Amino acid sequence: MIGPALIAGSMLTGLVATVLLFRGYLRRDNDYVSVITPLIGVTAGLLVVALGYLTYQFVVTDYTNAYVWNNTANYIPLLYRITGVYAGNEGSVLLWAALAAVVAFWSAARRGIASSDAKLVQGLTVGIVTYFAAMLFFDSPFTSITEEFPEMGEGVAPLDGTGLNPLLIDPYMAIHPPVMFIAYALLTMPFAIAVAHFISTIRGNGGLFSDWIGSITRWLRVSWLFLTAAIVLGSLWSYRVLGWGGIWAWDPVETAVLIPWIFLTATLHAVMNYRSRSTYATLAPAMTATTFALVIYATAIVRSGVFRSVHSFADDGIGLALLVLLAATTILGVCLPLGYWLLREPAESADDSQPWLTRANLLHLAVLGIGLLGFVSVWGLSFPVLNSYITGMEVEVTGNYYNLWSYPIVLAMLLLLGFYMDYDVEGRRRALLSLGVFTTATVLAALVAPTDSWLLATSDTNDALFYQLIGSVSALSLLPPAAYVCLTVINRALEYVPGSPSRNYQFKQVGVAMVHIGFVILVVSVAFSYLFTAQSSVIVADAEQEAALDDSGVHDVPDSAYAVEVSDYREYQRPEDPDVRNVAFSVDEVTARGDSIHETVQPVYGTVTEVNQGPEATIVQLDDSQIWLGVVGDGQADVDVSEGDRVVGVGYVMWDYLPELSQTDAVVVTDPADIGTMTNPPAALDQTRVQGSAVGLTVYEGGERLASGEAGQERYLQQDGMEVRNVFVDRGLAHDTYVIAAVDDGTASLTIRQIPLMNLMRISTGVLLAGMLVIILFDPAYGLVRAWSRRTEQPTTTETPSDD
Amino acid sequence: MTPRKTLTIALLIMALGIGYYSMNTASVLSDESHTYHGDTAWKTDVDEAMETAAAEDKPVLVYFWTTWCTYCEDYNKNAYVDPDVNDRLDDFVLLAVNLDDSSPEAKDLQQRYNANYPPQHVAITPDGELLVEINGYAETDSFIAYLDEAQSEWESR
Repeated sequence: MIGPALIAGSMLTGLVATVLLFRGYLRRDNDYVSVITPLIGVTAGLLVVALGYLTYQFVVTDYTNAYVWNNTANYIPLLYRITGVYAGNEGSVLLWAALAAVVAFWSAARRGIASSDAKLVQGLTVGIVTYFAAMLFFDSPFTSITEEFPEMGEGVAPLDGTGLNPLLIDPYMAIHPPVMFIAYALLTMPFAIAVAHFISTIRGNGGLFSDWIGSITRWLRVSWLFLTAAIVLGSLWSYRVLGWGGIWAWDPVETAVLIPWIFLTATLHAVMNYRSRSTYATLAPAMTATTFALVIYATAIVRSGVFRSVHSFADDGIGLALLVLLAATTILGVCLPLGYWLLREPAESADDSQPWLTRANLLHLAVLGIGLLGFVSVWGLSFPVLNSYITGMEVEVTGNYYNLWSYPIVLAMLLLLGFYMDYDVEGRRRALLSLGVFTTATVLAALVAPTDSWLLATSDTNDALFYQLIGSVSALSLLPPAAYVCLTVINRALEYVPGSPSRNYQFKQVGVAMVHIGFVILVVSVAFSYLFTAQSSVIVADAEQEAALDDSGVHDVPDSAYAVEVSDYREYQRPEDPDVRNVAFSVDEVTARGDSIHETVQPVYGTVTEVNQGPEATIVQLDDSQIWLGVVGDGQADVDVSEGDRVVGVGYVMWDYLPELSQTDAVVVTDPADIGTMTNPPAALDQTRVQGSAVGLTVYEGGERLASGEAGQERYLQQDGMEVRNVFVDRGLAHDTYVIAAVDDGTASLTIRQIPLMNLMRISTGVLLAGMLVIILFDPAYGLVRAWSRRTEQPTTTETPSDD
Repeated sequence: MTPRKTLTIALLIMALGIGYYSMNTASVLSDESHTYHGDTAWKTDVDEAMETAAAEDKPVLVYFWTTWCTYCEDYNKNAYVDPDVNDRLDDFVLLAVNLDDSSPEAKDLQQRYNANYPPQHVAITPDGELLVEINGYAETDSFIAYLDEAQSEWESR
């Protein structure tokens, strides 16, 4: 009862806080204002305690909770028990709610809620938290197992859980979801501020975006940092899990998370450029509000299963609740700004003499371009669904759609970025000249393909013209724009950094340079890594015998520089030493449960103290108690048990089955196949979860010993026989060596991939994240580190207005 | 019009263009009555296919497939765009069964011809008698040979 009470409590306090906040806002008074912040604190506290309690239930494997039972099992180690907390819908919503509540409380405590604007913002944030709490109230992660499965009988707790999706049993999956939900929770604040801005503007109170711009910028940047880190962690996970297409496949779920990321990136650029009375007075707040709506859209896609089956969209409660939330956030975050823009925004004075080439226009083009990139992803996800609803026609969207449409946009954006950076420092003439040079170089490079693997896609005469055209472009075309950006970004940093007297400003410029260079290198390395991955395979038929030899043979892998040697072969299962006491009741436990398990099937163990063999049944007393095992049916006469044996049996617990025998309370009626010794239990109590096969390998490259390690696969018996590959990855300087093994009956089929540029990718994401961290900390206007040195005392207005 | 508005409108038009173009050129997997594989269109209604076959006095080629099967993609890329294959397919009534989502009639076919993984083909008479079975992926040459064999089986009845 603790869990549901915590959820209900948080929903109530959240609701009261929301109502009081809106009341205070509408009446413009400060009644109750002293209780609101504590109320938000209590809401956050209750949700955090609920999350902690759920985690505790996972750690101690409390299977009276259906959600715990569904998402973990005894054999799963501690770290992945915690992963189970957010493996399902309910747990991840709880995580999200708790984080969002903490964010709301933190901001209420820091900024206070005395002002009318702050009330509105907090009202919206706490409103969202309350909505999550209500979702959890109706679809709780604390539903008890007896409520979920009434047929199991009152008071029964299963002895083992059903397990965790094997794909989630991975260190990256233990941290990826929390990082993602931190980003999502942080985005609640800018959403609330932006929506409040429009409400306030429409009500004639003058908006609050310009007062809160520092706060918005910080929230957005920190969210971006976490969201980027989450995507990177997700990619690393996908890289380790075979079948997910390396670090990135255009799987709907992956595309879904990219959409808010792209949009958030565009929003950051728009917000940088926000000026209350002119530039982006409407667009920057509008994009800020829309980002959160897209987060909900992404979540709805990931969680609803709409892309696996169009029909199961609103089947489960969370799916429907998310749809309602999606509708609400769309109305507030998209329709409200759009309506305001169409109906109320004061018309800008049209001035035809405005020059085209200004920094503001270039930034605007950047925002639009990134927006267009986001549109490609949104559209790719949405139109097959739309199409099948409208026309009943199913169409196919492959990676080619995303890659080929995004490619020219990315090229154009890189050229634009280079031009912007150059223009900032070198002025109009020089910048236009270099843009001309690099654009020409890009076009020429697009025509030069040293081999077929440089082409973006294998073209097919059935493809539409555009896909054929872009598909036959050479990846070489990526290099001139990338070089352009790197040169101009470094040039700009060299110009700005030494000249500035403010240390924080210098740091920020370095951060800006790091983010942009990191991004460009990432784009190049991802594209080249995909195009130049080489794959070859070899079958070692006698892997098991070879492993036993001291000096086994080295097998050359055809069409590659690799050779492999099998040094080990093993088959294993988990749990290694199953104890039947984990899955069966002792006599005392059966006695304690009493009547409640009458006529249910239960496993029971104990030491035999008496055996009565009759013509129809053999009955066996356990532990000198009132509980007996009754073996009936064909072959019961052959059951070989004698006093002192430790046995276990599965069968129907029949209370008062033999009323004529006073020393029997219950008989567990079983048949000969369902009784066994505790060291050799019957098949029904087999606890094997995982059957694994693995080969130890030594890999040689070009005759040199490269690395040794293990690869193989695991079958998860109780999860539809789902199979997971354990790959062996050797990280090299220039390329990774990635070995996939299928091991069966002593034979190992090995596939070896040479994946280039993985380290460059790792470094570039590191630079990207570190750069953003530097900006968050040292931005002279809104940075978290205020005073670095005395020299920062000079007014921040010396900073040029739109500098990134 | 200011440059920013002009740019915005230009990019909006571009987005609409991308949307329209991509939607119209996306390869169709299925509509109400057919699924498409390569250059071929297959019926999805079992009863309708059987009736058509009986009326036109043709054998039925049943194709068990799924969206996730890579060998099905190989069929699409190699066999179903091959003119020789398509010539022979004209002599069959084509019926595709998606192993993932299927009607009771399709489930029934699946059981009757023991088709439990994709891709599999069976050529049958309108009465449901088996002519030829093609389990798994067949290279285009042998696929044609199978189709010819099914045709001669059919003619000899």
